[in-house]
Amino acid sequence: MEIFSDLWMGLSVAISPINLLYLLIGAMVGMVVGVIPGFGPSAGLAILLPVTFGMDPIGAVMMLAAIYYGAMYGGTITSILLNTPGESATVASTFDGFPLAQQGRAGPALVMQAAASFVGGTVGVILITLLAPLFSQVARNFGPPEYFLLAMMGMLTLVVMIGSNWRYGVISALIGFALGTVGVDLETGQSRYTFGSAELIGGIHFIPIAIGLFGLGELYFAFYQGLHARGSGTIVQYTKDQRFWPEARDWIETRMTMVRGSLLGFVVGVIPGAGATIASLMAYSVERSVSKTPEKFGKGAMAGLVAPETANNAASSGAMIPLLTLGIPGSASTAVLLAAFLLWGLRPGPLLMAQNPEFAWGLIASMYLGNMALLAINIFAIPVFVWLIRIPYRILAPGVIVICTLGTFSVSGSIIEVWLMFFAGIAGFFMRLFGFSPAALVLALVLGPLAEEALRQTLTISRGSFMIFIERPGSLSIIAITLAILILIPLIQRLGRRAADKREAG
Amino acid sequence: MPMRVAFLLVVLFASGFYTYVAFADLAFLSVSGRLGPGFFPRLIGILLMAFCLWGLWSEFKRGRSEVERASSHWRTSGLVVVLTGGLVLSLNLLGGVLAMAAFLLVSLSLLNRGHHLQNLAVAVVFPGSIYLLFDRLLNAAMPDGVMALPF
Repeated sequence: MEIFSDLWMGLSVAISPINLLYLLIGAMVGMVVGVIPGFGPSAGLAILLPVTFGMDPIGAVMMLAAIYYGAMYGGTITSILLNTPGESATVASTFDGFPLAQQGRAGPALVMQAAASFVGGTVGVILITLLAPLFSQVARNFGPPEYFLLAMMGMLTLVVMIGSNWRYGVISALIGFALGTVGVDLETGQSRYTFGSAELIGGIHFIPIAIGLFGLGELYFAFYQGLHARGSGTIVQYTKDQRFWPEARDWIETRMTMVRGSLLGFVVGVIPGAGATIASLMAYSVERSVSKTPEKFGKGAMAGLVAPETANNAASSGAMIPLLTLGIPGSASTAVLLAAFLLWGLRPGPLLMAQNPEFAWGLIASMYLGNMALLAINIFAIPVFVWLIRIPYRILAPGVIVICTLGTFSVSGSIIEVWLMFFAGIAGFFMRLFGFSPAALVLALVLGPLAEEALRQTLTISRGSFMIFIERPGSLSIIAITLAILILIPLIQRLGRRAADKREAG
Repeated sequence: MPMRVAFLLVVLFASGFYTYVAFADLAFLSVSGRLGPGFFPRLIGILLMAFCLWGLWSEFKRGRSEVERASSHWRTSGLVVVLTGGLVLSLNLLGGVLAMAAFLLVSLSLLNRGHHLQNLAVAVVFPGSIYLLFDRLLNAAMPDGVMALPF
């Protein structure tokens, strides 16, 4: 019952008119961010973070969280109408979303994806409500060894996800760790890698790097791929007549798909480093394997669209659990959210729910409202996003560059940080081009100082012995879970590849 | 030399310098006998160099059988990078609003050729909106520049 009183208190915080306005703005911006190809939630969050500086902390974080989960809704519109995923987590939605649109069922596909996103997102928030207090209690027993291992677990999972280029993922993460060591060492007060520069004493700031890598780097890469040269003539047309709404059989056929996708997505989302992309691909594979008509998948099966949509939204909710209860971001997007929390003086972790209940429960309650708002926006404001898709990339991109530049400058009014963002953008472009992982770099930049502090504390406690990691039940459990993930993920990837090969051969 | 190898060599060189500083300037143990500021950087530096060398070895092993094919849009990406550099450079000179307008006008003239009226409209309306949002509504910092706006 305590959960309900906490949630009620959170609702009373979230439901103020100004917070609702911020929530709606965040949801709309999230959808816009999702719709623009090559411009994911990480970039959107990093760029818009400075915009929230003049706002009330709870309203600001509610808005940023809405951008984060709103991007999952928006990314699918382009998957269905353009066969171009707005971001990586909606790649699986193109498999059946676009064929549905080509068959003249764009309207039902858009409505079903909105409904599936809503179900996935809401189930995710219900599970956060029930499980976050439990996770907080467990995490209160965690010490430096467990925190170090959790940080490593997130990094390793993210690196293994990269697949055959995993070595470059490790290099990306190590570069992030190396950048994280710049500045004053908090334990001894000694400067590291500052080379006499006063600007570097405080360390390399996370926001310019994130905006550069995800904003500019992705944009340069989109130009390299020729996105600016493509017209908007391939957008599938749809009309808002009676054929716009799904039929009863669409709902009946996919009701269990929504349940499976939501639960699977949430579990995958909770694992640090896994995230919405892998959740959506796994949900698609699972749905095809349990389907009575697997031959329809890839040719316009509604379940093939609903499964990844429920999963990616549930996963984005699930990823909030390690962020809120452990203070460990599992993805680049949640790393930006963590940076936002820290900027507002809020320290996510096991004590957040006890020390800042208005904030923690206000944020959770806002996610219920945000999902409802997104459902309505998604169905009734589709023409707005279709209009946005029609704006040629060559016109949209210079505007994005301007926002990246001004957004970076507004963080601390430093032109040096703008240059840092610019060079991070060039580095991000080459990283994308050569198969490195900007997400691993950003995550390591955030987790690096935490991991270093935890490791040094651990080895001080154990007087230099690494045996401490297997002597404590908590850390031993984390090692076991990490090993299981490291074995399971390549296996799942291999099975997926084999199934794809079979499908192509058949 | 393939571009990826060149990129790896740059990272290897930088990580070599990082590791050198970790060993030369940063102590492994602090005065109190605890792990010092050099412990983590040494670990990271060595791992970084090892993985770069491994990556290079794999690239050489993969050898010349795989030829990297550059996109035909190389020049456009390069142009956008140069234009962004120009924007950053002009911020301190022209100030935020004028730099934005100039950047948009030049970049749209090059990327969206022939649509003069549309380009001009975007170059005027967009910076104006950003100015209103950042400076007036959100009170966020905007570069003034040498030639600051009179308002």
